[in-house]
Amino acid sequence: MEKECVIDVEHVKKQFKVYADKGAMLKERVLSASRSKYEVREILRDITFQVPRGQAVGLIGKNGCGKSTMLKMMTKILKPNAGRILVRGRVSSLIELGAGFHPDMSGRENIYINATIFGLKREEIDRRIPEIIRFSELEEFIDNPVRTYSSGMYMRLAFAVAINVNADILLIDEILAVGDAGFQKKCFQRLREIKEQGTTIVIVSHSIEQMYGICDRLIWIEGGRIRDDGLPKPVAMHYLDFIEDERLKKLNAESHRLFQATGRHSILELTEKVHPDARRDGSQEVYFTGISLLDNQNKSCQSFDTGDRVILKLAYKTNLIHPQVNFNMDFVKENWQYCYGCCFAKAGDELPVLDESGEVALVIDALMLLPGKYYLDVGINGPAGELYDSVRNIMQITVREYVHDEFGPCTFTHYWQR
Amino acid sequence: MKEHLKEIFDYRDMVNSLVRRDLRGKYKGSVLGFLWTFINPLCQMIVYTIVFSVIIRSELEQFYVYMITGMVPWLFFDMALRQGSCCVRYQGELVKKIYFPREVLPLACVTSNCINMLFCFLIVFLVIMISSVGVRLEALLWLPLVMGIEYLLTLGFTLLVSAGTVYLKDLEHIVSVILMAWIYLTPIMYPVSMIPETILWIFRLNPMTAVIEAYHAVLYWKISPDSSALFYAFLFGVVLLAVSEAVFVKLSDNFAEEL
Repeated sequence: MEKECVIDVEHVKKQFKVYADKGAMLKERVLSASRSKYEVREILRDITFQVPRGQAVGLIGKNGCGKSTMLKMMTKILKPNAGRILVRGRVSSLIELGAGFHPDMSGRENIYINATIFGLKREEIDRRIPEIIRFSELEEFIDNPVRTYSSGMYMRLAFAVAINVNADILLIDEILAVGDAGFQKKCFQRLREIKEQGTTIVIVSHSIEQMYGICDRLIWIEGGRIRDDGLPKPVAMHYLDFIEDERLKKLNAESHRLFQATGRHSILELTEKVHPDARRDGSQEVYFTGISLLDNQNKSCQSFDTGDRVILKLAYKTNLIHPQVNFNMDFVKENWQYCYGCCFAKAGDELPVLDESGEVALVIDALMLLPGKYYLDVGINGPAGELYDSVRNIMQITVREYVHDEFGPCTFTHYWQR
Repeated sequence: MKEHLKEIFDYRDMVNSLVRRDLRGKYKGSVLGFLWTFINPLCQMIVYTIVFSVIIRSELEQFYVYMITGMVPWLFFDMALRQGSCCVRYQGELVKKIYFPREVLPLACVTSNCINMLFCFLIVFLVIMISSVGVRLEALLWLPLVMGIEYLLTLGFTLLVSAGTVYLKDLEHIVSVILMAWIYLTPIMYPVSMIPETILWIFRLNPMTAVIEAYHAVLYWKISPDSSALFYAFLFGVVLLAVSEAVFVKLSDNFAEEL
């Protein structure tokens, strides 16, 4: 049976007027009719979604994509310019922690101030205060003025109040990053409990990992519209790939600027996806003319999952006549930890003899690297070890990160027994 | 509208705790602490009394009683309006981050100043007792009503300016200038009888005249206040509050963006 829908957002539009400089002074208002000089920034263009009771939804997107604005409209802090937002039930929003705290008043008094701002009645607070104090772990300090608290204690108190405001709908904005790791874990535990009690939750966060722990559904907002909406895993994958692509595009542009400015054009010719850290070396008697990484559909790709099939294609040219060479490649982690390397032929084997130009491919049936960012190095050596061409850090590959139970550079085929 | 008013009522505990915070936080850390609540009006009374009974020579007997019975209520109005004009703006972070009916802020501001006035009335009564003016119970019974009407008026004006200041910062200073003039357009430091006939109508239009006159009547003259004037002030207050609330609701839609 379809569950009752508690949040109904229909064709919501929101724009902000951004004034060149904000003239709220009378003089400026009167003197310059030019205050009408502003730019309308469309934050949200057309957003529609429904949330059934008890669902935990995460809003993801880049900075400034409007996810916080969306949340603020649900709490009625902001009004949409068009469209309709219906929220059924008591809403509590954890957007600001420690609202209204007065430094000179005791922790206990501040709990009352803070909680009434969240809309709680005095009697309700009376009932909950032991739980709030217990959760904040500030029993001994609760009657001291808040100004004597460390910032960690302050946040703990603030969070304890916020998380103990019972509501039908909980809206949370980027506030889970408070306190030490232990306290954070406790907050998550509590959030899960709240969810199990049937509270509808909407979270805005940058941390996909946090989202995984709680959300049943992710909504990705991009360019003022919903780009993707569904189960956490596929949406997060889609989103992370998008972010990674954007990052790599930026890196590429940087590389092109850098290598053109410094006259190292030879690196640019190798691949479109060159990384700014790339360095080229060697006699160039045999040299690379193209380097590409392909996924199992033969599409050029830089983001993989652990276990994916990866093909590395190397095109070369030479001025020598039928030289004997050895190809090699390796992966180095972002922190310069050497992870894996291999050669075409091992010592003592017959080396391949090259034509004037050609291509070799390394087929990796299963990429065993664990999530992280890795640099690719490739090289060509002569029979006596002479260095013909070597390109380090030519490109970066990303092994996607989701929830993980393995650590280090690489994975083993393994299982646990008990 | 009805729902909105109910919501404001539901947030009464927030008003409550903001008032507490304001009253308790105000003098925290100062040596004399809460005593300042009394010292302030007392000093004002002394200064004005020196000016008006020694230099200007008012004909009123025991001028300082006349003075303080009008000044303390005026100070409530004055302070509430001054603080109220920026009460939303100064709490911008709160307004931008948390939803609550915005009326809570001016309400808390006016209420806290009203309670401050109630404390000051301890001094007022002390002064009345020490002087030979004394009290008359029948007159005193009017006092809560007079205070109620003043609260109504103050809230009306404060709502209006607190919303206005969000859009126009100058309003804070404009209010301060207006208040400076207003105190002289209200018979606080002189009796109504001294006002020339030709400009009396201005004073009659001013709802605060009726209120301050009522305080004087009840506490200084020990008679019942002019009920028709008081009714005018009440009516003025009701209409003003209705208009102010309508304006406030309209303007509060964009508070979070303007701040």
